[in-house]
Amino acid sequence: MYTEPINNLNLKLEAWTNVITTSKYNPFYYHGALPQFYLWVLYLSGLLLFAYYIPTIDNAYSSEKLINAWTSVNYITNTIPFGAVFRGIHRYAGDAMVVTILLHMLRVWITDRYRQYRIVQWLSGVVLLVMVLFIGQTGYYLVWDERSLILTRMTCSALDAIPLVGTGLKTWFLNGTELTNYTLANFLFIHIGLSFALLFGLWIHYVRMTRPVLTPPPVINYILMAAILLVVAWFPIESGKMADLTSQPNTFEVDWFFLFPYAMLTSMQPGIFWLTMLAGVVLLCVVPYFVRTKEVEPAEVVLKNCTGCSLCAKDCPYQAIEMVPAPAESRFKLLATVKPYRCSGCGVCVGACAFDAIDLPNMPDADVTAQIKALLQS
Amino acid sequence: MSLVCERSCDLNAQLDSQGRLTAVPEVQVVKFPCSGMIQPLMVEAAFKAGATGVIITGCQLGDCYYREGNRMIRERLLGGRPPGLKKTVDRRRVIGLWLSRPQASRFISEAKEFLAVVTELGPVAPEPAKPTPAPKPAPQPKSEAKSEPENNKAPAGEAKSSKATAPADPGPEPAAQPKSETKDEPKTESKPEAKEEGKPES
Ligand code: HEM
Ligand code: SF4
Ligand code: SF4
Repeated sequence: MYTEPINNLNLKLEAWTNVITTSKYNPFYYHGALPQFYLWVLYLSGLLLFAYYIPTIDNAYSSEKLINAWTSVNYITNTIPFGAVFRGIHRYAGDAMVVTILLHMLRVWITDRYRQYRIVQWLSGVVLLVMVLFIGQTGYYLVWDERSLILTRMTCSALDAIPLVGTGLKTWFLNGTELTNYTLANFLFIHIGLSFALLFGLWIHYVRMTRPVLTPPPVINYILMAAILLVVAWFPIESGKMADLTSQPNTFEVDWFFLFPYAMLTSMQPGIFWLTMLAGVVLLCVVPYFVRTKEVEPAEVVLKNCTGCSLCAKDCPYQAIEMVPAPAESRFKLLATVKPYRCSGCGVCVGACAFDAIDLPNMPDADVTAQIKALLQS
Repeated sequence: MSLVCERSCDLNAQLDSQGRLTAVPEVQVVKFPCSGMIQPLMVEAAFKAGATGVIITGCQLGDCYYREGNRMIRERLLGGRPPGLKKTVDRRRVIGLWLSRPQASRFISEAKEFLAVVTELGPVAPEPAKPTPAPKPAPQPKSEAKSEPENNKAPAGEAKSSKATAPADPGPEPAAQPKSETKDEPKTESKPEAKEEGKPES
């Protein structure tokens, strides 16, 4: 594997971390749980923001007061107790989620845990990544300051440049042919709707893993939370000026975690931009196929030995064993069957079976025992 | 005898043609795709065939190359997950080493130490069971060496350390050792380890 040298460094680093934290508290071993934790934080802080957010772009004064998305965000920030803190948490937890996702990705790649029987996890991960990035962008539209306006306009012209479906996409995006109150309602729906769609994506991500590691020891979560609060305290969020449809603002601050596509758009033709994005996603999707290694030989059940005790199915870490009703002539009720496309060839099921009823084809346990005996006799 | 996961510490450079550890030729190495494949039955078979001790080696706990394999075998040997190891197996003669790929030298030093321990254990007179009140509720037959230096407890055939003896298992039934030695010490620790973690959590 071409990542082997990096991995050796990485493993040394992790061994060092183990000296300090012990393996139970080693954050490297909870790489997948970190973005998951930030996702929960985002849901909760987002709920509070949602409660007081008003998705309109009105620029007119209704009675004395102007009420629109921007003023409601201001209200949340300045009037609601701890509103600014929650807003800060929501913003920075989003950034932190991207960082932890990238680290997670990097680690599964470096440690060579992304191919073959893990392909579903990898591909669904790519989809999750794209979704998370897009959800984050829609968050920036919602604030409805000048940056939101620029981003919205840039998105429109970028969508317009796509042949055939471009105009349709733009109409979907704006929820009409131009920017109206309905547009912001649509943004809010996309933001929240996709956030919940993430759960479905995560279900796909986890479905082939028995007991995915989702709950690190609480201290790790406390530290993640503390990190966010520190950033919130250090860099409080400021809204820009309220968006004004009649103005043409043209500079904006870039949040590099989410808004890098817009930074690219400022210096690229939309066509090239879309091609770059597409190429990036396709590249990520085919990375697992760059390496050719020998195929996994899935475990095989020795039908006559299996007692249907289900121990292997419980322990298989890849949900690869299904217990099916045993054939009629059997003494037992159930029979283990291996789903070969899920099997990693790890042999945990062999270790689980007290009846020698499941084997790795290239290493039957009888041979192992014989080998042990032979070695000891020599 | 050592049952080693291929994906944990990389021993390929350390083996002679017959699968012995060059540095410690008493140690025979059998490779597995994952420590999770090791059956407690295989450990028993090794003792039956005359081994004086068995080293199980897997990746660092929490970092199985596949998933959970090291945790599975650890729990099986500790008795928390079926199938378990027969009670008659002298727990002092089984250790788990959880090492990542670059840690071959550590494997060798641990293996030497363990060899000294089992050699010392040899055919010895039965020791009385030690009723150390166990801090942990369940039998704790085996501990693991992690990446911490742990020399201080080296001569630790006689489980003198805190969390070592956990005779919580039903009976201190006299454990007839398949090989020459017999111990009634029901569950002793081969290697009480500084960094011993709590019971594996589910
Ligand atoms: C929303 C963001 C994501 C979350 C919350 C997440 C979470 C997780 C969790 C909890 C696991 C299980 C780890 C274990 O039990 O050992 C996992 C595994 C995995 N993830 Fe993700 N993930 C995310 C995004 C990604 C991305 C972007 C990729 C790569 C493109 C990715 C690739 C993988 C792979 C290949 C595995 C399997 C690793 C193994 O079997 O050891 N994930 N993920
Ligand atoms: S552990 Fe063995 S006997 Fe039990 S169901 Fe699986 S294959 Fe059959
Ligand atoms: S070898 Fe056995 S335990 Fe491992 S993935 Fe395949 S069926 Fe599951």
